[in-house]
This record gives sequence, C-alpha cells and structure tokens, in this order.
Amino acid sequence: MEAKQGSINVYASLLRDVFELNVSWNPTSNKVAITGPSGSGKSSLLRVLAGLEPAAQGVVQIQGETWLDTEGGVFVPPWERKIGWVPQDSLLFPHLSIQENLAYAGASPLEITKVSELLHFSVLLERRPRFLSGGERQRVALGRALLSRPKLLLLDEPFSALDRALRLEVASVVCDYVQEHQTPMVVVSHDESDARLLANQSWVLVAGRITSEAGQQGLL
Amino acid sequence: MIPIYNWANMGTLLPITIIAGMCGCSNDTFNLSQNEASLPEDVGHHETTRLAATGFIRNGENHLQLASSTFPRQGEHALTVFAASSLQNVLPKIVKIWTEAGGIPVRVSFDATSRLAGQISRGMPADVVIAADEHWMWWLGNKGKLNPKLIGTLATNQLAFVAPLGFPSPPQRAEDIHSKNLSRIVIADENVPAGRYAKATLEAANLWGALEDQIVRGGSVRGALEWVSRGEADGGFVYQTDAMAEEKVKIAFVFPPEESIRIVYTGAAILGSQRFHEAAMFLKFLESPVAQAVFTRAGFGAPEATTYGPDDTMITKEEFVPDPWSAIQLSLVVALGAMILGLIPAIAVGWTLARYQFFGKSFISMLFMTPLVMPPVVTGFLLLDVLGRQSFLGRTLDALGLPVPFTILGAMIAALVVGFPLYVMAIRGAFEMADRRFEEVSWTLGVSRTWTFWRISLPLALPGIVAGAVLTFARALGEFGATIVLAGNLEGETRTIALAVYSLLESPSGQGATWMLVSASVAISLIALLGFESLSRWQRKRLES
Repeated sequence: MEAKQGSINVYASLLRDVFELNVSWNPTSNKVAITGPSGSGKSSLLRVLAGLEPAAQGVVQIQGETWLDTEGGVFVPPWERKIGWVPQDSLLFPHLSIQENLAYAGASPLEITKVSELLHFSVLLERRPRFLSGGERQRVALGRALLSRPKLLLLDEPFSALDRALRLEVASVVCDYVQEHQTPMVVVSHDESDARLLANQSWVLVAGRITSEAGQQGLL
Repeated sequence: MIPIYNWANMGTLLPITIIAGMCGCSNDTFNLSQNEASLPEDVGHHETTRLAATGFIRNGENHLQLASSTFPRQGEHALTVFAASSLQNVLPKIVKIWTEAGGIPVRVSFDATSRLAGQISRGMPADVVIAADEHWMWWLGNKGKLNPKLIGTLATNQLAFVAPLGFPSPPQRAEDIHSKNLSRIVIADENVPAGRYAKATLEAANLWGALEDQIVRGGSVRGALEWVSRGEADGGFVYQTDAMAEEKVKIAFVFPPEESIRIVYTGAAILGSQRFHEAAMFLKFLESPVAQAVFTRAGFGAPEATTYGPDDTMITKEEFVPDPWSAIQLSLVVALGAMILGLIPAIAVGWTLARYQFFGKSFISMLFMTPLVMPPVVTGFLLLDVLGRQSFLGRTLDALGLPVPFTILGAMIAALVVGFPLYVMAIRGAFEMADRRFEEVSWTLGVSRTWTFWRISLPLALPGIVAGAVLTFARALGEFGATIVLAGNLEGETRTIALAVYSLLESPSGQGATWMLVSASVAISLIALLGFESLSRWQRKRLES
C-alpha cells in the first residue's frame, strides 16, 4: 500500500470554543494522541473533525481535502467523510445484534469473523448490546469502526473500560490495522498511558488549543 | 293503567286552583308595554279567568300586572324545565318576561324531546317538560312520570322544506322534490320528533319511497338546518319556526296543515317535583296571551286540541334501539382507519418536532396540541368549515368522490384530528428518548441521513410509534363531539359506540344494548391501554444500553 503523508489543519470555532490544531504525519508517525484535562474540548474536537457539529465555523482540512470551509461554503456531511468514530460510550445500536452492528457499514461476514476474533468477542456476535459489559462494548465499537474502512480513525477514550492486559492487546490490533491500511488516527484521552500506548506523536490540548508537544514517544 | 286525561278542558282552565292567597294588587308591579303584550280586544271572561289563574290581573289602563306575592320566592330555588330543542328561539324570551314579572328563576335544558323523555323516565329531576311531540308526552304519562292534572297544549308548528340561500329554483311543492334531482335531503334522525314528522309526512304523501335514497339524517333539527345552511344538503325538512330563525336558508314551501302530520307542543308538570305550584304557574303562564304572543311572533301556531295517545307513526321502542354490533364493528373500523390515516403524518410531525429547531416551532407544536384541549364539538365545527362543501377543499374532495361530511371518512377524520395530539406526543417522545448520537454514529459509518432514519431512528422509535397508534386508536373509539358534528349520527355509517350510546339515551328500553355497548367500550379501551403500557415498556427496554 502506498505510503501516505498528510496533515490535519483545524481552525474552527464552536460556540465559545476555538479549536486550533495543525498536525502532520508520515507513515511512521500517523498516530496522533491528544491529551488534556477534562473540559479542554477533546471530544468536541473529534466531533468537529467528524462533521457532527454543523454549527462549527472555520476550516477543517485533512490530507489536502477540505471538509469544512465556512467562507468558501464547503461542508462535507459526516456520511461522506468516511470516518471511524468511536465515541466514549461506544453507542452500539441497541436494536441490533453485535453481528448486525458490525455489518452495519457493509462489512462481509468473513471480515466480521476476523475482527471479532482479533478483538476477542466472537462469542458475543448473537447478543444484543445491553447484555455486554462496558469493555466488551468498547471492543465491538472499535471493531465496527475498523470494519467501515475509514479514511480517518477517531477514538474517544477508547480503552477506559478495558483492563491492562486487554489494553495492550487491543492497542496492538488497532496499531496493526492503522499500519496495514495507512489510516491516520487521532486518539483523545485524559490518560497519558493510553496515549503512549497508541500514538507516535502526542499533543496537549488546553481550552481547544494545542499548547505543547508531549514528545514523540510512540511504543509501536 | 293509562289515566284518561281531561283533554277537552285543555284549551281553557286547568282544573286546579293555585291562586289562593294571591293579592289583587301590589306596588311591585310589572308593566308590559302596549306593543309587547297588550291584550287582544276580544279577551272575554274566559281569558280573564285564565289570566287570573296565571297570576296576572288587569289594571285600569289595560296593562298587565303580575302580583309578586303570587310566587313563592323563598330560597330563590329555580324551576327546572326540560324543553324541546325547537323552542330555543322562543322559550328564553318567555322566561325573561316571566322572571321580570317576578316569577321564580327558570333553568331550561333544551334537547330533543325523545332524549328528554328518556332522561325523565330515568328519574332526572326536572319540574316541567315541554315536548315537541305529544306522543312522547303520552309515553311519559303512561310511565306515570307526569302529573295528570297539569298537561296542556301550548303551540303548534309546521314542517317546512328549506333550501340553501343561493340555491336555484328549489321545489315549490312536495311532489316536485323528486324531479329536482337534489343530491341530498336532510331530515332529523327519525327518533327525534322532527325526523319522525318528516318521515310520516312524506309517507303520507307517498313520497318517502321515491326520496329515500337521497335522504340523510342530520341528528337534531338544528343539525339538519346546519347542513342546509352550509350547503352540505340541497334541502331539508325542518320546523317552520327553526327555518324562520335561520338566515342562511330559505323556506321553499311549508306543508299545508291538511297534508302534514300535526305537530303539537305540550307542556306538563313532572310527578314528584318539589315545586308543584311553581310548575303549575309556569305552565299557565305559557298559555297566557303574553306568552302566546311571543309564540306567535316566532311563527308558532295557536294551540289546538291534542290527540294525545299512541299512534302508528310513533316509532316503537324496537325501532330506535341502534344495533350494538353494527356500532361496535363500525367503531373498530373508524378507529383503525383513523390510526392508519394518521400514521405517516404523525411520524412526520413527531420527527420534525423532535429533531429540528426552526422559527415558530413552539407555535406549530402548540397548534398540533389544540385539539387535545379544545371542545371536540368546536374541532368538528372547524373541520366542517374546512372540509364541507362550502370550502374549496371540500368541493374538490366531493368531486373526487371522497365526500367527508356525513360519511365514514368524516368519522375517521374527526376521530383522527381529535386523537392526533396523542399520536404526535407519543411518537415525538419516542424519537426524543433515543440518543441522537446513534444517528451520528450511523452517519460517520457512511450511511446517509435518509437511510439512517430508516435503519436507526425509525426502528428505535418503533415501540413508541406503535404505542402512539394504539393510544390514538383508543381515543378514536371514544370520540363523540367532533364526529357528530362532522359526520352526523348515521346508523351503519357513522354511528359508533359513543354515538349509539348517546342515541340509546332516548330509548329507556334499550338498556340491554346500552350495557352491551358500555361493556364493549370499557373492554376495548382497557385492552388498548394495556397494549399502550406494554409497548411503552418495550420502548424503554429497547433503548436500554
């Protein structure tokens, strides 16, 4: 697969918040972690990137593609952005089984089997989300995002309900996927160790703005 | 068993004396102006006697004086009078004169005579009844509900054929009606006197068979008149007096007395009334020249002797018991129709109100809620304005072969509009209950807004939508007011359970049918509400995560 280089440039305002983020990546540093205290706007930043905040004004550019340019009248709706968004509380569709949740974006049964084995939830496929634990749901939500073949992966506190051993394993699955498909990824977390686990560049967000580079200390 | 009343005396003085203790004159007198109620010149001895009986005396200037001490006023208790609907234009005027002259306050309840008779036979506490149909009076007397000494005839009326004001060349005689190709001829229901009179008169003229297909029943006389004045019917048979009081119709012809069935108004005191003396006074007052002058001005004829008794035109009790099964089936069909007709609009409105913010949203939302708090009769009236033949929409629907008034479609629409707020509330609630972020996840997974609605929003809200449908179904079963205004009360077409029970109030003998309908109504409502409850539970469970 062709090695991808690119950048995320965000300069957008949403209500009282102003988001400013300019990061670039290359195949060896395409995993961006953003940490920051709660209330610093991490989740909102992801929502602006995903196109879920139509009220956001400004510019969002990913790899040269403009997703939002208020002055230029550009707004690419979320369903055309091809984003793998894993929200903090998973949000599995409650009326669908796990299998159906995973197939929602059109994944084949074979792909579903593969992902569910990698993320250790093969036994859950027939169940409804409400019978799953928080950690199980996080893994399914992650699987569902990966199966949609996203152009950009957005993870919001993805491991908060996982124990240490599972974190390592799931992190390696995600990183392998990102490496294999050359998909840039933005992870937000209030937990430095999660950030270190997943990312190869790490930034600190305070009040919507990147204030410092936390250092490039990616593990994988 | 049936007391034989002394009808020969009716035109004169009732064989009672209730004026004992009346003082001849008092400072507290009531003067009627000359043109209002000056006595006819030929008031003879007889009339004077009658006047004396009513408490009126004549003073030197030929003015009426009402001796105030005549009327017991202690406690100011009121006389309850049940009166035929067709007296609505005249009786209040007479009551006003009565009370201004010092009579005790009178409360009048107007309704179809048949319904009043049913209420009285059930023991409704009234003091006086004034019927538009002497046979119902006979029926009440037969049941021992009337004071046999206090029954008298008060006025007569005639049947008129009316047409909408702008109607070109209405028929001039009963025989011409058929040749005019009128689309609808409205009469009152046959179980109210005006409807019975109309049918009997047409039958006597051998016209009923020819016109039967065009005849529709508009409930009460007022209802029938309303249909004509709105142009929903090309003509109708109503009382002459009602027709005279309605500006928006013209009287095409009045049946000559020899061709028409006699329409006699009788008044009586109800047995067991605590206000026997006042009732007697009031009845006498109605016979007095003062009151008779008001009757005459309103178009009523002079009282004539009654043939008080049963006759073969009187609808027998079996005939006016609505068929309960037909009503139950019809109710289910109407409720189901309302539910289905409303499904898509309710989803559209519920979804819009749940998910979109726009200017005037609270106003729109309020607008959809109004039928919940408005009297259903008002809703029905507005619907009739919008969907009747007078409106463009109504004419268009008519031309498309989908007439709304008087039809089962009208019953469905009435039930739907009244139940629509519940429909929308339930569906809006179901949409709002589901986390919007499920839809957002769907979008980020590359599924468009439309498909997200079908695959996520709608299925998530499904139990709530079904619950709303069930609730609307239940509400539709209970709908009455808007239905009777928009769709009438037509057996087999629009007479649902509620309307059938209402009709049965006129027939005290319909107890069995009433109880059947009441039980069916309670049972269906409970089942529907049980369904609503369990669907609501399902909705909450479905969104559990």
